[in-house]
Amino acid sequence: MAYRNAMDALGDPTRRAIFERLREGALPVGEIADELPVSRPAVSQHLRVLKEAGLVRERRNGTRRLYRVDPDALGELRDYFDDFWTQALASFKAEAERERRNG
Amino acid sequence: MSTQAAGTEAIHRTVSVDCTVEHAFETFTDKIHTWWPLATHSIEMEETGSSPETVVFDGPGGRVYERTTKGEELEWAQVVAFEPPHRFVLAWNPSRDQGRPRTEIEVTFTNEDGRTRVDLEHRGWEQLGEQAAEVRHGYSQGWQTVLAGYAEKASS
Repeated sequence: MAYRNAMDALGDPTRRAIFERLREGALPVGEIADELPVSRPAVSQHLRVLKEAGLVRERRNGTRRLYRVDPDALGELRDYFDDFWTQALASFKAEAERERRNG
Repeated sequence: MSTQAAGTEAIHRTVSVDCTVEHAFETFTDKIHTWWPLATHSIEMEETGSSPETVVFDGPGGRVYERTTKGEELEWAQVVAFEPPHRFVLAWNPSRDQGRPRTEIEVTFTNEDGRTRVDLEHRGWEQLGEQAAEVRHGYSQGWQTVLAGYAEKASS
């Protein structure tokens, strides 16, 4: 499930740091590695996980590959609340009607 | 591919409750602590795995916040409009980071033949922009297990 994958991917502090860095704009691997205490191959590996989780996208710019946050990721948050409100309102309804029955 | 980001449309939910408009409004706001599943859906739970003491819904100009077991008040939302017993609007961001962008929740209460129709709209997803995934992460640790729990509680 995509949503679960995203949660797992961001559970790692280094991936979270990379993801937060990319929020500010698209970057190549080398620049990300320069700013973090992690090797370039390690950054590439983390980017692959983020990409597979649907959090980051890659595009080619000439010979460079740039990575950026996937704007569609916000659809998943919305979907999460879509489920959440169904459940929360059921709980609200049960409580409102229970109090009424009990006076 | 569309330039419109997927999934930014508002969420709508309607529930019909067998009680007066006044009682429905009061249950949702003043008595939010009686039905909101704090044990699974709160900041303290995400951080420590234990439930906060309570959740408080202030009136006009106030906040919605949880009070943790350590006595901290952690904000979930600012009350943008408060018009009992018919409507309220929240600027929603349950987080320690109050600099994050907010989504908006509007809830209305309408009398329908002695029952109350409650309409909820959760909108403004586009305001989250590129921070969406991170915001979602902040909400979600521990929230996934709650869904099963809600269904059980509501139907018991």
